[in-house]
Amino acid sequence: MTLQDRVADAPGPDDVPPLRTASPTRRLITAELRLLLRDPLTLTFVLVFPVVTMLIIGGSFGTEPDEAFPVNPSHWYVASYLTVVIGATGLIMLPVHIASYRERGVLRRFAASGFPRWSFALAELVVGLVAIAVSGVLLLAVAAPVYGLPAVSDPVRTAVGLVVASVAFVSLGVLLGTLLPSARAAQAIGMLLFFPSFLLGVGGPPPAVMAPALREVSERLPLALANDAVRSPWLGLGDAGGSLLVVAALAVVATALAARRTAL
Amino acid sequence: MRGLRKVYDDRVVVDDLDLDVPAGVVLGLIGANGAGKTTTVECLQGLRRADGGTIRVLGLDPARDAARLRPHVGSQLQDSALPDRLRVSEAITLFSGPRATGSEALLERFGLAHRRRSAFGSMSGGERQRLFLVLALLNRPRLVILDELTQGLDPTARREVWSAVAQLRNAGTTVLLVTHELDEAEVLCDRVVAMRDGKVLDAGTPAELVARHARWATVRFALPDGESVDSLRALPGVREVRHAGGQVAVHGDRQVIAFAGAWLVARGPVPDDLRVDVPDLEAALLTLLDGAAPGPPTPGADRAGAPVPTASIGTTS
Repeated sequence: MTLQDRVADAPGPDDVPPLRTASPTRRLITAELRLLLRDPLTLTFVLVFPVVTMLIIGGSFGTEPDEAFPVNPSHWYVASYLTVVIGATGLIMLPVHIASYRERGVLRRFAASGFPRWSFALAELVVGLVAIAVSGVLLLAVAAPVYGLPAVSDPVRTAVGLVVASVAFVSLGVLLGTLLPSARAAQAIGMLLFFPSFLLGVGGPPPAVMAPALREVSERLPLALANDAVRSPWLGLGDAGGSLLVVAALAVVATALAARRTAL
Repeated sequence: MRGLRKVYDDRVVVDDLDLDVPAGVVLGLIGANGAGKTTTVECLQGLRRADGGTIRVLGLDPARDAARLRPHVGSQLQDSALPDRLRVSEAITLFSGPRATGSEALLERFGLAHRRRSAFGSMSGGERQRLFLVLALLNRPRLVILDELTQGLDPTARREVWSAVAQLRNAGTTVLLVTHELDEAEVLCDRVVAMRDGKVLDAGTPAELVARHARWATVRFALPDGESVDSLRALPGVREVRHAGGQVAVHGDRQVIAFAGAWLVARGPVPDDLRVDVPDLEAALLTLLDGAAPGPPTPGADRAGAPVPTASIGTTS
């Protein structure tokens, strides 16, 4: 045992046996999940917005496939709107939340209080994935009695697509939160990133009715690729291997950068 | 801390700083904005990496051994907050490590027991600072670092927080207090270290710094009719008497206050405009920061001869 070991581990004069407390990371995850439920931005953009817009647009194009929709349009949008939840979580909720923590010195407080180096990154990953899971279940629960749920053509590829897309956008959200200088800036940039992606690549008009140039852009948006990786295997429109690969690469890069940037 | 150096871009913020904090002492870091006080304690906490020098806190290197050191250090950081919607009881749970004990007693002690269910965002500035103190003490730290503890607080809240720190001092906790409030440093600190431009200017007890750098007291009043300033110059402890426009300023050692008062009483009614400037830590620091531009009541000769000792912070027990 080194001198440092003896000094740091030696009991103080008023020492009592250590308490049995949850690990710091677990405590942080619990607190962050609790705060998530109290955040109006989360409730609005991640829970309410996708459900309301899905209900509106899902009923706007009927239920019969046509030249614009290769499947029942309502089912097309029900499958698509899971990606809206993913996008809202990654592009709005997390960047604003984390930028606000940085701006107000909350992260420094966590660091100074001895939370492990990777605990905040892990907590935000869990929080983001839980937000997506809860909102996704809510979305499907609301869609089921109204439009019915589309049958899942390839459950494994769909599940893989959902997980990879969720990890990619949660990590991207965490990364944005560490890069943007303030909560206000994160909100502005997040909206700018989210709404074009949402309208062009996921929840807006179908690509078939877009002008060629616009369609070209919409198909290359990261959120559109994530949507393709989920919707195509779900609705039996192909395995979307290329999209999945790109989103997986985004997930790896964003996760590595986000973990590095959020190290306490 | 030996030879600490920290540079931001091309700007040297802390320059070859030596510092020791003896156990059980409340040590204050004082100085103007940009003196390097906060950077120094951030390096000490392992929140910033030093560009040079060595730091040992409780025998550990804060940069390399941060995970082992931080549970033993309680911190109240400058410009930091908690999530607005986090409640007091939840903050206690969140920050309670294996060494935590007596959170209820701490909440009682700092007057927050009735605020357990309150969200951080709904608390007043004084309550927030007291909550930070509770969190800083929760895990029975061996060193408590308090950075601008009373910044932005009203006088009542400041007194509340001072009282809390005084309790820490009485309990023998080692405290490193970074402050701009010199009355705070004078009341709370056993020792103070004055910094400017990342260097230590002087260190000692508040009384020692006052004696070295702000020794002269001043008594000002309207000279009674028919009186001469010569008899004032002859009073014990008087160093200088200035007389202009019927107003007199008597500068000298602290005893001048008593002798000038007695002189006035002996000559009839005490003038209504009587004013006394007692030398304090603020005067001492102003003199120190002022460098080569002295003036009454602080004599330049005293500053020129003042030694610049090594500051001492460290929780060596």
